[in-house]
Amino acid sequence: MIASLRRIRAIAGTTLIELARLRVFYVLVLFALVLIVSSTFLARISFQQELQVTKDISLGAINFFLSLLAIVATAQLLPRDIEDRVVYSVLAKPVPRFEYILGKFLGVLGLLALSLVAMSVLCLVVLHLREQSALQEANRQVTQLAPDQLSSTLRSIQMAGINRDLIAALVLVLAKSAILAAATLCISAFATSNIFTITAMAMVYLIGHLESIAREYWLEHAAGWVTRTFLAVVAFIFPDLQAFNISDQVIGGIPIPAHLIVQLLGLTTFYVLSYILLATAIFYQREL
Amino acid sequence: MQTAIRISHVTKVYRAPFRRRATVALRDLNLEIAPGEVYGLLGPNGSGKSTTLKIILSLISPTRGSVTIFGRDNSVVAARREIGFLPENAYFHKFLTGAETLRFHAKLSGLPRSETRARVDELLATVGLTDARDARLSTYSKGMLQRIGLAQALIHNPKLLVLDEPTAGVDPAGSRDIQDLIASLRNRGTTVLLSSHLLTQVQEVCDRVGILHRGRLLREGPLQSLLSIENQTELVLENASPDLLDGLEQQIASTSARLIARRKAQASLEQLFLHVTESTEE
Repeated sequence: MIASLRRIRAIAGTTLIELARLRVFYVLVLFALVLIVSSTFLARISFQQELQVTKDISLGAINFFLSLLAIVATAQLLPRDIEDRVVYSVLAKPVPRFEYILGKFLGVLGLLALSLVAMSVLCLVVLHLREQSALQEANRQVTQLAPDQLSSTLRSIQMAGINRDLIAALVLVLAKSAILAAATLCISAFATSNIFTITAMAMVYLIGHLESIAREYWLEHAAGWVTRTFLAVVAFIFPDLQAFNISDQVIGGIPIPAHLIVQLLGLTTFYVLSYILLATAIFYQREL
Repeated sequence: MQTAIRISHVTKVYRAPFRRRATVALRDLNLEIAPGEVYGLLGPNGSGKSTTLKIILSLISPTRGSVTIFGRDNSVVAARREIGFLPENAYFHKFLTGAETLRFHAKLSGLPRSETRARVDELLATVGLTDARDARLSTYSKGMLQRIGLAQALIHNPKLLVLDEPTAGVDPAGSRDIQDLIASLRNRGTTVLLSSHLLTQVQEVCDRVGILHRGRLLREGPLQSLLSIENQTELVLENASPDLLDGLEQQIASTSARLIARRKAQASLEQLFLHVTESTEE
């Protein structure tokens, strides 16, 4: 067991170093950071709206770039190892293919977590600075506002700033990226080119985001058993990625129930494990 | 005694998707390698050498047949604890240094942490890369890559070493070092299976050879018996005087035997290899 964990950690560590050296990683993170910073120059209608716009753009940028990174970084891992024959010297050692796949996934997850931390820290710092500046501005206007009006303004600024739900939204962004990385690993286990994997994952991404809308429409207009079965199969194979986007609620200040977060994290665990097991099963059949 | 490698009736057929024709890479291959033996697998390109090695390492599955490593089915992960493998034109993570590469493979092989540092130092010295231990593999020459590949194959002190073209890209001096290393491993009881195109090298280090061609094992056995010519006998005399040799020649002439030469020429491995493979072309 300890030897197995040591092997998985070795593969994950090497994968993380390999990915961290990719230029695409820095370009994507840089783009996201620029977007987060630039969001502070937008929309100065009110303090509350300013913070909401900053949050909206920051969460959107982190969400998009982390998803893109999960797909692009994972897509080339297995094909590159096979093409470079690195896989021969690794799998000729007492390394089960499951450990190899899991190590690769954990390496990607490490990269995603580091990227999320980098982007989140900047997002939180920007939000904190804007929040402090807004609170100071509101306090300066204290003479012009009635006491209850002032307290309401301060409360709305604090609600629009950093709170527990924002952290939850960031954790769910990581969870969604983990699902995308596991699904990408699964497809790349049988794909023969990166382009195929990335194209297939673009479709998975679209289906994952549109399936809840399609489900609502179809169940309303045609609720026969064939449709229901089809929808159930689609819902089982493709995770409802739209469910992970809670940014609208977070921006709107709508409290996120804790059980929803737990449910979504449970769903993440289920899909990640399922995709990794499927990827392993496919990879076991693959002739190297 | 338990064999190091036993290949029983292994056939490998590659089927390309959407194509009717299949490629038969190996046909009913049977092979046994004893512990401590150095076995050379010879064959032209496409003869099935790499397929054989990949099947032994469980990188691909045979269509039919079975393989055991020291009595264990080769598909069992534990069987690979006994194996060290050097792939042809070894590729490793080029962003790692020589020492990091060996540490990575030590972890994969399950070498205890306490032994890793000493083993890495020892192997870097053995393959002559101590000075390059902290250089990234991206700066290594082809010969250096081959040597670090050999070191990673030996990191866990395996009982069986599988080498695919071990001296490819290595200069003559480095090649000699690798041959000496194989010889010293044999003396320590390590079983070595190597595939090579360099016939003289195989002739120097191998106890037994097998010649593969179009997926069939055409000839196999101890090197000396394969190289000897059946109806000819070689007498190696020490301190024989010319008179003695003349006397022997006269005695031979009086019988039905015919003296071909004073020193009988021996067929080289290369001649045997070409003879065996070319005769099947006709």
